Amino acid sequence: MMEIIRMVVVLSAITGLSGFVLSGLKVWTNPIIEEQVLMNVQGPALKQLFIDSTNDPIADRKTLPKPGSEGETIIVFPALKNGKLQAVAMEASGKGYGGDVNVLVGFDVTKDNLLGISVTTHKETPGLGSRIQEPAYTKQFKGKDPAKVALKKDGGDIDAVSGATFSSIGSTDAVKQAAGWYAALKDTIKTTWQ
Amino acid sequence: MASLMKEFTKGLWKELPPFRLVLGLCPTLAVTNTANNGLGMGAAVIFVLALSNVIISLVRNIIPKKVRIVCFIAIAASLVVAVEMLMQAFAYPLYEQLGIFVPLIVVNCIILGRAEAFAAKNPPLLSLADGLGMGIGFTLSLTFLGAIRESFGAGTLFGVSLFGPDFEPFTFMVQAPGAFVCLGLILAGMNYLNIWQAKRKGIELDPNFDAGCSGCGACKAMDKLAAQKKLERLQPAKG
Repeated sequence: MMEIIRMVVVLSAITGLSGFVLSGLKVWTNPIIEEQVLMNVQGPALKQLFIDSTNDPIADRKTLPKPGSEGETIIVFPALKNGKLQAVAMEASGKGYGGDVNVLVGFDVTKDNLLGISVTTHKETPGLGSRIQEPAYTKQFKGKDPAKVALKKDGGDIDAVSGATFSSIGSTDAVKQAAGWYAALKDTIKTTWQ
Repeated sequence: MASLMKEFTKGLWKELPPFRLVLGLCPTLAVTNTANNGLGMGAAVIFVLALSNVIISLVRNIIPKKVRIVCFIAIAASLVVAVEMLMQAFAYPLYEQLGIFVPLIVVNCIILGRAEAFAAKNPPLLSLADGLGMGIGFTLSLTFLGAIRESFGAGTLFGVSLFGPDFEPFTFMVQAPGAFVCLGLILAGMNYLNIWQAKRKGIELDPNFDAGCSGCGACKAMDKLAAQKKLERLQPAKG
């Protein structure tokens, strides 16, 4: 009996103590990790989108309430040129073939059209679905009216990647989602970075 | 002090984990496609191994024998999660490169092996020396293997070009089969070196030379147990 109690006490003490230490470490490292993830995952995509911005979009990012869903937020990255807001980007996701396709969608705030898109993370088949990352596909979105983005089979004018219909649908859905958010947040965005 | 040095240096050559004890081969084969990855993985293992050895050695007298493995794993797992978070925060590109192999340090047999064979029986300072030595030996081995594979497979060392632009890299070396071939050649080289050394000194080669006997002692304990059993059988039964 004594032995069993001792086992329970020692094991609980060890696991409890490690849980305590780890949660402390988590609280400390969480903001740093978030920053690192943004810099390493979204950073390169942002650089592709905002070619001539003069600011650091990650440092200037703002968290805005997500339109249509209470309590959730989205991160909006601005591109400023000499202090004036040129474009914004936000990340949206759509269902692809292998999982979520996350797309960073840029909007030109002066013309209200799409600045371009850049796929950040995805789990599509390498060499097939993964071709949605290539410029041949992504450049089609440049300059489009965000409200009218659709694949050709749905009456739009975006060519799907052949053999990767699901991946194309997923990425287009993500763009549509971001377009919806942008339409709802347009005025807030324009007054946030003046 | 002398024994401290002995425990520290045995991990560097005499009981070099991947090449002598042939322990921890999963990360040894998987992450050594560049010297840098090997070094990063090794650093993570040094941290976990040294700390887990010290902690286990500190609590070795209060851990009940029956649940000792669970306790060792709990301590090692906590340290690994800590390493994972620190790596994500301060060395994100390395974390992306090593991927799944960082959480897998938990089940790396070097960690549990040193905990069971050494830290659970020795005081903290000696355990620290053992952990550091084994960890550094592991890191050196991984970096060495990574350097060989990277220089042949990509023509670079730590990302610096070695042979100029005309070099046609053996892509084979940075892929999985290259790891096996390299490891095999290194093990063969180690064995050859041992035999040559033994011959030069004119001594008979110890068949257990690479079995890591100093830390384990399991076979000695078995002998003792067998002798005891024999003695019991020889004694006349009471009553």
